[in-house]
Amino acid sequence: MIDLSVVAARLEGALRSRGVQAGTRRALMFAEALVVLAPSAREELYWVARTSMLPSIDDAVLFDTAFGLVFGDATPHAINSLDHIAAVAGLPADQAAHPIAREERQSPQLGEQSAAGDDSANVPVLWLTASLAERLNERDFDAFSEDERALMLRLINFVRVPRETRRSRRRRRDLHGDRFDLGATLRGTARTGGELVHRRTTRRRELLRPLVFILDVSGSMVPFARALLQYARVAARTRSGVRAFAFATRLTDLTQLLRLASDDDFAAALGSAIRDYAGGTNIGGNLRAFNDRYAQGGIARGGTVIILSDGWERGDPAMLASEVVRLRRLSHRIVWVNPHKRHPAYEPLVAGMAAALPYVDVFVSGHNVRTLDAVADIVGQAAAANVRVMARN
Amino acid sequence: MSEEHTRPTVGIADLQRRLLDVGYIADLGLATSLACAVNIGHAVLLEGVAGVGKTEAARALAAVFDARFLRLQCYEGLDLAAAAYDWNYSRQLLAIRAAEASREPAPDLYGDAFLIRRPLLAALEAPRRHGVVLLIDEIDRSDDEFEALLLEFLGEFALTIPERGTVAAAYPPIVVLTSNRTRDLHDALKRRCFYHWIDHPTVEREVAILRLHLAESPSALLADVARASAALRALQLRKPPGIAESLDWAQTLELLGAERLEERFFETSLGSVLKYPEDIEAARRAVDDIIA
Repeated sequence: MIDLSVVAARLEGALRSRGVQAGTRRALMFAEALVVLAPSAREELYWVARTSMLPSIDDAVLFDTAFGLVFGDATPHAINSLDHIAAVAGLPADQAAHPIAREERQSPQLGEQSAAGDDSANVPVLWLTASLAERLNERDFDAFSEDERALMLRLINFVRVPRETRRSRRRRRDLHGDRFDLGATLRGTARTGGELVHRRTTRRRELLRPLVFILDVSGSMVPFARALLQYARVAARTRSGVRAFAFATRLTDLTQLLRLASDDDFAAALGSAIRDYAGGTNIGGNLRAFNDRYAQGGIARGGTVIILSDGWERGDPAMLASEVVRLRRLSHRIVWVNPHKRHPAYEPLVAGMAAALPYVDVFVSGHNVRTLDAVADIVGQAAAANVRVMARN
Repeated sequence: MSEEHTRPTVGIADLQRRLLDVGYIADLGLATSLACAVNIGHAVLLEGVAGVGKTEAARALAAVFDARFLRLQCYEGLDLAAAAYDWNYSRQLLAIRAAEASREPAPDLYGDAFLIRRPLLAALEAPRRHGVVLLIDEIDRSDDEFEALLLEFLGEFALTIPERGTVAAAYPPIVVLTSNRTRDLHDALKRRCFYHWIDHPTVEREVAILRLHLAESPSALLADVARASAALRALQLRKPPGIAESLDWAQTLELLGAERLEERFFETSLGSVLKYPEDIEAARRAVDDIIA
């Protein structure tokens, strides 16, 4: 029998060179499925390959090109035997190994940044003294040089993270709970020979409210977005239920990246994940996409949503307003971070910002480490007072 | 795995036909994924927006093999006791009391009679090959802890109960996971599954599905409904109608005595297919495109 794992490995390689991480495990599943199901037509072969090797529907287009490259468009309609598949796959697949697509996708902006990150690792260590930290805390995110940025990102690791909770409907056993638990008390008697000794009680669980970041990565917002992404990373490391999204012209889910171990990997991964980095803005449309695909499904329900944007809307402000209203109904609290607010004379005159503001619970500037640190406080205060807050800088 | 290969394979076309026999129309892609899950001992993950028939696919699969159908609905905070097994404490207590009263030795408190089998454990006890279809529904609603638990379960098809030892499946169950994709699943879990994205059906397929379920209805009406549903999906609504909604709609229209989807029926029946006032408003505005 011909070794079909070679065929599978070839497809895996073609996918990887396009940035789709299928992995060896999937390749093995593909090889096994080929043997067991022995597809008899090109269409069946396609679907067997797709169900075993496609990690997510988002990669479907890339998958199709990789499949076309490995199996060629010329595969005859009927496939006689498994050897036939291998023969077909063996022909034109040599081009597959070249990482063409990867270079195209890496946006120059972030490429530079991650390169800068590497550099700063080689530069002699800048000791983080108290006064330096103090100055960097106050400095605006868009006023950092490349060297200092790495330091600033490290400072963000010390910023506090909002930890709002809500009471769950479900109850959990608690030593000093507020409700008698008959079932557990009776069950407990099994340990004491059937005698009622320990009285057991329950209390309603405290659940951490989800924390969702939606960050504008259009041109002017990039330095701030990078800082807030780092903040999201800190949040994801210190608590559960954190998700992050970025948008300029289209919405990208970055949640998986937040868990990457090293900051450099994170910076590099951002480059390939966000394909519209520093592109134009369409806030309303992206919020709508977020609402349709994620919020409606309940990920922000009862949660805190942190939106970073200057509110410079190219589309229809009315749409932005209606989507913010919708998001408000689907979440617990909306925090809008707008760096322009740092200027004392700032007035939310930009159409988008003016349209969204009435529906925002907390409006902050968040333009440097110190004001970012205030976000946790403000969310906490708002939780205590249950009011809408216009934070002072 | 090698003994697996000697067993009779359920082919793709064969499975597609048998699904049709039990009233489920699967396209080639879906049939392929299900065939992979049936023949190879891995789960299949079905993703898609709500109402495209993910759950129904698992149910149909159970009907095809005349298998026991076990459904585990996921939610945040789903734990081992609710997913795998639990002990019947009150019964244990009664047994102890009864033994005390009758001065007999206590029965085995961890025997079968006291074990409550939840879906994961029950799925391991298939009496024959393809004897159980386990549906783990809306896995995206569960939390990371449960995904981790599932990882172990799907890898080995075994569960360890401390009081009894390890229960391993003699015949691995057919496992179907569904997700509405409100969050991305962990890649470790996805790697263990075959994957298929179920899209909204084409108009022809939807007509066929409606005919299959509503054989009595006038077929001109069903064709109208399928076309209108497709038009509604193109409108970028908050909740585009799924097949379930199309079925409801067709049934509602039939109740109203409609032979074709006309404007007067459209207005009154819209509530059966769209569930948001904004969507209904948008549909009203585009009524000419939808009915024509």
